[in-house]
Amino acid sequence: MNHAGPVSARRLRLLVTLSMILVFVFLIRLIDFQIVRAESINQESYEKRAVARTIPAVRGDILDANGNVLATTVYRYDINAAPAIVKPVERKIDGIAQVVSIESVAAELARILDVDVAELLPKLIGTSHYVNLKKRVDAETHRQIVELGIPWIFADPHHDRLYPNGAVAGNLTGFVGTDGDALAGIERQFNACLAGVDGKETFEKGVDGIKIPSSTVVIQESKPGRNVILTIDADLQYQAQQVLASEVRRLNADWATAVVIEVKTGRIVLAAEAPSVDPNDPGKSPEAQRGARVFQFAFEPGSTMKAITAATAIETGYATVNTQVRAPSSMRVYDHVINDSYSHPPTNWTVTGVLRYSSNVGTIKFAEKVPAKTRYEFMEAFGFGKQTEVGFEGETRGVLNHYKDWDGVTNYTTMFGQALSVSPVQMASAYQVLANEGVRLNPVLVAGCQDEDGNLTAVPKSNPKQVVSASTANDVMHMMEKIVEQGGIGQATAVAGYRSAGKTGTAEIKEGSSYGQYYAASFYGMAPVDNPRYAMGVMIYKPKKVWTNSMAAAAGYQKILSQVLLANRVPPSTGKSPDLPTEWK
Amino acid sequence: MKAIAQTRSRGPLVMIVVFGLLTISILHLLLTIMTSQSVYELSDLKREKRELDTTSQILAEEVASLSSQQNLLNTAAKLGMVANSNPVFLKIEDQEVLGKPKPALGTSSQSRNLVANSAMIDLKPAKQKAAPASTSEPKALPVVAKLSAIPVSPTR
Repeated sequence: MNHAGPVSARRLRLLVTLSMILVFVFLIRLIDFQIVRAESINQESYEKRAVARTIPAVRGDILDANGNVLATTVYRYDINAAPAIVKPVERKIDGIAQVVSIESVAAELARILDVDVAELLPKLIGTSHYVNLKKRVDAETHRQIVELGIPWIFADPHHDRLYPNGAVAGNLTGFVGTDGDALAGIERQFNACLAGVDGKETFEKGVDGIKIPSSTVVIQESKPGRNVILTIDADLQYQAQQVLASEVRRLNADWATAVVIEVKTGRIVLAAEAPSVDPNDPGKSPEAQRGARVFQFAFEPGSTMKAITAATAIETGYATVNTQVRAPSSMRVYDHVINDSYSHPPTNWTVTGVLRYSSNVGTIKFAEKVPAKTRYEFMEAFGFGKQTEVGFEGETRGVLNHYKDWDGVTNYTTMFGQALSVSPVQMASAYQVLANEGVRLNPVLVAGCQDEDGNLTAVPKSNPKQVVSASTANDVMHMMEKIVEQGGIGQATAVAGYRSAGKTGTAEIKEGSSYGQYYAASFYGMAPVDNPRYAMGVMIYKPKKVWTNSMAAAAGYQKILSQVLLANRVPPSTGKSPDLPTEWK
Repeated sequence: MKAIAQTRSRGPLVMIVVFGLLTISILHLLLTIMTSQSVYELSDLKREKRELDTTSQILAEEVASLSSQQNLLNTAAKLGMVANSNPVFLKIEDQEVLGKPKPALGTSSQSRNLVANSAMIDLKPAKQKAAPASTSEPKALPVVAKLSAIPVSPTR
C-alpha cells in the first residue's frame, strides 16, 4: 500500500495536468472564437443570412402657386405568391373553422386583381417561392387582398408618381419612368430638388429564404425630396387648356398654345397647350405631344414682331406714333416682292395705322432707316435668339441670325417677323416688356425649391432691365390698343369693361425649302392698358377650318383673357385710349 | 465541533446567496416577459401605423381625384350647370353693366371636359368590387382574418 500511494498520486497529478492542458486549449480556442475573432465570425455569419435593401426616398411634390398638388408620390404594390407553400386557406366563420379551397381563393384574388382566374390559377402551382400575380395595384386593391388573409400571398411596395389633375400642366410637370427616373419637364429639370437621398436597411433570412420577423435594421434613414413650387395657377391652366382644346377642334388645327405672364413680376400664370400629355400615362400621347411646345417649339412669328420693330424705331428716334408713310400693297426689294396680306391702293398711314392694318410694306417704310445692327440688338434685348431664364428642359433659343448674316431681303423681312423664329414664351416675354414701361423681367416658372420647414431655395431673380423707355413702351401699347378698338380681328379679342391692346400674327410655315399652305396664327397683347397686369399670347398651329387665318387665335385669346381677369378680380378699366390717328391727308 | 460550528455559520450566507439568485432569476424572467409583451405591442402599433398610412393614402387619392378640375366640371355638368364663357360685370358705383349679358345655353364645348386625366378614380365600380364577379364562381366565404399588412415577397 505504501508503494501504491505515490503511484496513484502521480497518476492523479498527470490526469489533472492533462485535464488542465485540455481545458487550457479549449480556453484558448474559446478566447479565439469569442473575443479575438468574434467580430469577424459574427460578421461572416450575419452576411450569410443578412440581406441589404435600399429604402427608396420619397420624391417631393410639384405644387402650383396656390399649393394645389400637380405631382405627388404614392405607394403601389406588386402582388406576388409563393406557390411552394400554397395550400387551402383556413378561416373562422362564426367561431367555426372552415377550409377554403385554393380554387375559391384564386377566384377571390382574380376578382379583386381584375385578372382572369384561368390565367391566375396555374401561377399558384409549382415549387417556386415567387410568382407575380399583378404589378402596381393601388392601395385600395392592396387592402382588399390583405383582408383575404391568405398566408402565401405577399406584396412588394413601390413608390409611384401620381398626377392628380392628369394633363393639367402635364406639359410642364413632365413625367417619370416606371423605374422612377425623371424623363421630362420639371421632373427632370428639378430632379436635384425633388429626389431625396435613399436609405439602407438590412434584414435576416432563414434557411428557407424567408425573412426573419423583427430582424430589420435600418442602417441609414432615407431623406425625402423637397417640393417644387410653380408660378402656375392650376385652375387657370385648366381653363386655358379647355379653351385651346375646344379651339383646336373648332378650327381643325394641329395644336395650340397659350402663355400668360404677370407684367409686374414676370411670373408665368399659365403655359397651356392642347393636346397635352397626361403624365399618368405618357405612352398614350404621341411623342410630339409629350413636351412643352410653349418653351420647346420655335415658329416664325409674323406680324406680332411689328410691335417690336415699332418700339425700336420709336426708341431710336427714327419714328413716332404719328410718323407718316405712304404704303402701296406691295413693293420690290432686290429681286423679291413683298406684299401686304390684302390688296389696297397706296395709303397714307401713320405708324399707328401701319400696325392697325398690319401692313408689311408700311412697316418697311417707317423702319428701313433703323440700322440692322440696332434692330438686331433690340431684338436680343427683348429676349429673342436665346433661351429664356426659365431654362426649361429642352427649351429652344429660336432662330435669330446675326445681322451680318442677313441678306438684303432678310433685313426687311425680319421687320415683320419672317426669317427668324421665336418660342411662344419668348414672344409673351417681349410683350411683357411693352406692358411694363419698357422694363424686362426674367420670366419665372418655378418659384423655388421648398424644404420640409417651408423654406424656399433656388428662388429665381427677376433681374429688371430697361429695354426701351417707358414712353416708347406706352406709345406702342397705345398703338396696339387701336387694333383692339378698331380692328375687325382685334375687336374679337376685347373683354367688355377692360381696355386691352394686342397684335395679330399670321405666319407662314416652312415645309422644306418653301412655305406650305397652312399658317401659325397668333395674337399677343396685354391688359388692362390703363394698369397693365398681364401680357399674354395665343398661337394656333395650322388651323384648317377658318375663313381668315388672322382670326384663328382671337376667340381663344378673348376667352382666356376674360378668365384671367375674372379669376384675379382685376378692376375694370377707367379712362379712354389716347387719340392716335391712323391715317393722314 | 469547530467544523460543525463553521458549517452552521455559513448556512444563512448560503441561504442569502440562493435567495438572491432566485430573486434575480425571477426578476429576469419578469423583465423578459415585459420586454416580449412590449415587442408584441410595438409590432401591433407598427402594423396599425401601416394600416393608417394606407387608409390615409387611399383617402388622399380619392380627395385628389374628387377635387381635380375634370371631376368638378363633370359633376357640375351632371347637376345641370353650364359654363358661360361670356362673363358680364356690374360696376357697383354707377351700376353700369359691362358687356352684353347672354344666357349660358350649355352649347359651349367647354361645358364638358376636354383635358385627359387617367388618375381619376371611379368610386362606384370600386365599391362594387365587393360583390362577387359571377354566381358561377365559388362563393367567397366571409373574411374574418385580422387586418394586417401582408409581408413583402420572401425571394426575388
